[in-house]
Amino acid sequence: MSDVVAFTIEALRQMNFDVDDADSGTVFGPAGVDLDSLAVAELALRVEDAYGVKFGEEDMERLTVMTLGEFATEVESRLRLVDGAPA
Amino acid sequence: MKRTARDGASVTGIGLVTPLGDATGFFTAAWEGRSGVRRPPDGHPVAGLLDAAGIAPDIDPSTVLPPTEARRVDRFVVLAMAAADAALDDAGIAIGRDADPARTAVVLANSFGGLTMFEGEAVARHRQGRTAVTPYLLAGMLPNMATARIAIRHGVRGFTSTISTACASGGYAVAEALRLVREGVADVVVCGGADAPLLPTIATTFTNARALASGWADPVEASRPFDRRRNGFVLGEGAGVLVVERRAHAAARGRPGYADVIGWGVATDAYHPTAPLPDGAGAAESMRRALADAGVAPADVDYVNAHATGTKLGDAAEARALRAVFGGHTPAVSSIKGATGHLLAAAGAVEAAATALALRHGLLPPTHNLDDPDPECDLDHVRKAARPLAARTALSTSFAFGGHNASLVLATHPGGP
Repeated sequence: MSDVVAFTIEALRQMNFDVDDADSGTVFGPAGVDLDSLAVAELALRVEDAYGVKFGEEDMERLTVMTLGEFATEVESRLRLVDGAPA
Repeated sequence: MKRTARDGASVTGIGLVTPLGDATGFFTAAWEGRSGVRRPPDGHPVAGLLDAAGIAPDIDPSTVLPPTEARRVDRFVVLAMAAADAALDDAGIAIGRDADPARTAVVLANSFGGLTMFEGEAVARHRQGRTAVTPYLLAGMLPNMATARIAIRHGVRGFTSTISTACASGGYAVAEALRLVREGVADVVVCGGADAPLLPTIATTFTNARALASGWADPVEASRPFDRRRNGFVLGEGAGVLVVERRAHAAARGRPGYADVIGWGVATDAYHPTAPLPDGAGAAESMRRALADAGVAPADVDYVNAHATGTKLGDAAEARALRAVFGGHTPAVSSIKGATGHLLAAAGAVEAAATALALRHGLLPPTHNLDDPDPECDLDHVRKAARPLAARTALSTSFAFGGHNASLVLATHPGGP
């Protein structure tokens, strides 16, 4: 499991979502953790804070339909664009 | 559905979250003359800032909200939701089973919105920057969120609104409930108020305004309406919710309720942002309007549950207003704020509930700490102990910063409770 997936699962746990069975294949949508728009926004903030990447309003709808693994890949690809990315 | 213009309304449910606990704890303690005022304990947000406060019990947000929402909702909303749950339970009402969702209304009042949450987020943003601010802030703190979340939780689909007339808010909410029933808009109105102002900035501004009781070594003595030594009010928090129900609707369910709400009166001082008219004219006018609306003569009023908060000016102005309205007739008067502190937007609703309980039980609550009645406040005070009196008609008053005055008339059911 990638660091970003583990980070995301822990963040969702802190947000009181049920992530006991979550893994890379779990979706954010109703079939998975079932995040609403504010929850996606908070998750994005937590990732921004931890990894120094940035999400725009235009990214939100796309994030909502991702799996945790796809989200991690997205974060990692943005991370490569960030100079001296902090952990 | 066609309604008559004067459908009566009954209080069929009471739910309280107060410094004296829930409705049962409140009734027991306030009538026995015990105080809920105390020194904020170490670790409380206003510890060291206030010598005395009316602190409501902790309510676990997850008892009224899903776990993912519970983290991000202001305390005033949680208090309101807990009181609403209790009031509906007390009334024996499940919306959808016992009341038509479209003919059920929610009117919850508050003074501040979710300032506890806002202050926390403002401090976090100052310290940590942009990413510290939760996207849930508005969903947790907007003034309408007590009303909205009660509606969401209980499936209320009728009239919903939020009132904010500072310390008179709770009285206005009950008045609005009576109007909604009379106008045929609702069979059941979940109404009341909630505030959670025990946070550093609010405590400090009230202190700096010299509005709060001070210099009392024992916090229990600090709140003393109508007493000669009173020197300010005690800041409190809590929620009061009443189920006000169309009388015929309640009767059809076999629920006569605690008492009827039979009149409301509102008047505005148009004088000063915080000081009352010195002669209490606005307060008096709200009382006269309420009595006229109820079709009750001043001489028929047995009991007044007074707004009296323990400030020099406010209590004296209210006493003048009461003497102006009642003349030679002297109804019994008491204020429960001596035992609870001032619950701001919750006060009017908690006190309407106290008035209904006094009528239901034929027992008037005493004014706590009224050891030496101020000659400026010469009234027939209930003090030292509860007074047995089979009161049939009572007045409950609520006044506020802004010069808002609301009075309610409550009565026992014709023919007895």
